[in-house]
Amino acid sequence: MSAFVTLDGVRKQWSHTVAVGPLSLEIPRGEILVLLGPSGSGKTTVLRLLGGFEAPDAGRIVLAGEDVTAVPPARRRCGMVFQHYALFPHLDVGENVGFGLAARGRKDAGGVEGKVAEVLGLVGLEGFERRRVQELSGGQQQRVALARALAPEPQVLLLDEPLSNLDPSLRERTRRELRALIKRVGITTIFVTHEQEEAFDLGDRVAVLQAGRLEQLATPDELYERPASLFVATFVGRANVLRGKTARALGAGPGELLVVRPERLLLADAGVPGVVRERRYTGAAAFYLVETEPGDRLEVLARPEAARVGDRVYLEAVRVLTFPEERA
Amino acid sequence: MNARLGLAARAAFTLLLAWLVLYPIVIVVHDAAASSDALAAFVSRPGEWRVLWASVWISAASVALAAAIGVPLAFLFEWLEFPGRKTLGSLIALPVVLPPFVGVIAFLFLYGESGFVARAVQRLLGLAQPPWRLQGAAAILLVHAYSMYVYFYLLTRAGLAKLDASMLEAAQALGAGRWETLRRVTLPLLRPSLAGAALLVFMTALGSFSAPYVFGGGFRVMTTQIVATKLNGELPLAMVETVALALVAVLGFALLRRTEGDDILTALGKGSAPRRRPIRRAGVRTFATTAGWAFAVVLLLPHLTLVLVSLVPYGSWTTETLPPVLSLVNYQRLFSEAERLRPLVNSMWMAATSTFAAVALALVAGALVGRRRPWQFRGPIEALLALPWALPGTVFALALLTTFSKHDPLTLRWVLVGTTVLLPLGYLVRNLPVTGRAVLAGYRQLDPALDEAAASLGAGRWATFRRVTLPLLQPALAAGGSLALVAALGDFVTSIVLYTPDNRPIAIEIMSSLRVSELGVAAGFGVILMVLSGVVLGVGARR
Repeated sequence: MSAFVTLDGVRKQWSHTVAVGPLSLEIPRGEILVLLGPSGSGKTTVLRLLGGFEAPDAGRIVLAGEDVTAVPPARRRCGMVFQHYALFPHLDVGENVGFGLAARGRKDAGGVEGKVAEVLGLVGLEGFERRRVQELSGGQQQRVALARALAPEPQVLLLDEPLSNLDPSLRERTRRELRALIKRVGITTIFVTHEQEEAFDLGDRVAVLQAGRLEQLATPDELYERPASLFVATFVGRANVLRGKTARALGAGPGELLVVRPERLLLADAGVPGVVRERRYTGAAAFYLVETEPGDRLEVLARPEAARVGDRVYLEAVRVLTFPEERA
Repeated sequence: MNARLGLAARAAFTLLLAWLVLYPIVIVVHDAAASSDALAAFVSRPGEWRVLWASVWISAASVALAAAIGVPLAFLFEWLEFPGRKTLGSLIALPVVLPPFVGVIAFLFLYGESGFVARAVQRLLGLAQPPWRLQGAAAILLVHAYSMYVYFYLLTRAGLAKLDASMLEAAQALGAGRWETLRRVTLPLLRPSLAGAALLVFMTALGSFSAPYVFGGGFRVMTTQIVATKLNGELPLAMVETVALALVAVLGFALLRRTEGDDILTALGKGSAPRRRPIRRAGVRTFATTAGWAFAVVLLLPHLTLVLVSLVPYGSWTTETLPPVLSLVNYQRLFSEAERLRPLVNSMWMAATSTFAAVALALVAGALVGRRRPWQFRGPIEALLALPWALPGTVFALALLTTFSKHDPLTLRWVLVGTTVLLPLGYLVRNLPVTGRAVLAGYRQLDPALDEAAASLGAGRWATFRRVTLPLLQPALAAGGSLALVAALGDFVTSIVLYTPDNRPIAIEIMSSLRVSELGVAAGFGVILMVLSGVVLGVGARR
């Protein structure tokens, strides 16, 4: 894997207690890497370090073979889409998209206009040049922001939770279109989000961050199936975390925590006994909250008609993950 | 209130406001147009045109100077971090507590030909004559720059604080360097703030009276020309001049208002303002701090000068650089002699009454049209409330003087000239824009659901007003009221046209003390005004 973007021991100290890194990452050309983490995990800081808006206290950032650690944002050739888009309200759509072309010294008007039209076409906003940005819907604003970032043909595309302002029904579709578009352009992309579903849908690989540290960098499948830590196991996907008697009954060794996902628990004829306390119906399936004898409560995903509240059931685990207790 | 009654109340209120602020103007315009001699005199005298042009270019130059000082300061204090930034940042707004006329005499004591600075320079260089005379256009511009840069400073800072940091970062990510970002993003986004400040300064400078009156010498602007013409007894000509000045004001207002644009510029902004950057290089940091303090001292000098001069007993200071004797004797005389205390009392009661009335009228306006619906008469009421702001104080003073010098109840005119009522009425009209704007803005921020909630809990209209609306409006009332009170206390423009021997206000008393060379007494009154203004503004700004 030849790295196109490299973070080498990058570190940013905010205060005595808050710091990001040291962090090392390698991203090959054309990959979509998602930075996933809860708020305060440092994912936006990493993105801003890449864009040059923050200067690292230590480490190196290399873009396309060039050490850009000390290069100001204006000369980094990173396209960035901001969370609230940061469209310039005093400029229309065409002027917004053309902003970077003029700034990078493309002064011939015809060239700029052609490029603007081309990029607007790419995001499906043909003919929007003279619209005011205030008139656009949230989804359209997001696409203008993307077109503006892509117009100067940057080497890397940085996206800071660009879908968080869209309503949920629009988000899923936009996500798929966004991935298709990025793949068509073939640009190396780093995408920040705190939503696991978004990360899985969009990313070739996902980097899970927690408290400024990289917990795991892997494909979505690998993250879900083989989480490197208890944090990743619980942050990525739903998970029951168990200790004690129930954990041992399901296969944990001494001094181990047991993590089992709801869909990997079966309501069976024999196994760990429990009582159904709640049932949450979701349509295709239902979540059952089962209380075992020692008082542990487990979430089980099963067919909607598998059980009723109050039923006595037996739990069987198909696949469990175990972690040493002190990591908790 | 049923719909028809509400409509009637709005109509009646609109008429009352129109009578207060529009009618006097109409009368002046009418009288000026009717007097063809005066019109002909105005048009044919080149001096009149020169004076009108002086008003315009002085105002434009004041805008340029105020912007040149205020805008860089705003960037410095909003974007950079250095020791003492907070203290200095608020000190720098200090010229605000100096009423225009008091500021002018402070400048006279400080930079005038027998002021501290001139004396010091004269002594230092061993000159026989004072090194300069503080007179003419340059002197006026100096005072204007000092007192008006604050508008640019405050409004630009507010604009910068609302700026979305990600806008600037977006520009940088798109390849724009620091200057290009400033030119293509920051300044266009600041346009409403800058245009707003330019408008404020232009209108203030156009209406400025104290500085040209004291420092003008042979150099006249229209405000001083009007008063001089009136004193000459040529009232019809004064009215023509008033109308000419009013026209320039309205034109300037309309022009600048157009460039102000809309608030939509900030409508998209959701992000936070840029973080302040510490100045890293120690040398630069020390320089910024030192320069900042030096500047603050320069700003404070007029205040200190007033205090110092107020401590100089009559006749004790002749040729020395600094006064040889200091005592509190001026203040003792001020407070022990009834005749001297009189102006203070006059100013207080007139300012208090007029402010109270201006706040009350603003509240009525708010209650009638402050809410979203219905729309009838909202535009006219807001326009009438704002009108006195768009016209120089001299214009209004003369308009009121003309309107209320005739007894004709059928046309709603009574003789108020020579009574003590006319001057407070003038203050009231001048202050309507301030209180009106504050109260209407306050009303607009009220959630209409609060009224409905109060009503659903059984509160009647009056109880809702008293227990919900009024407490919520209190900050707006305090802000508008304190600004109005300070303006009325320190007023000179309206006073010099409308005062009578029975209601001589402080500013007029300062003027006559100066005439008889009682500098200490004049300064003492100035200090009192300054302190009163500071206290009132401080109380008004408290939440």
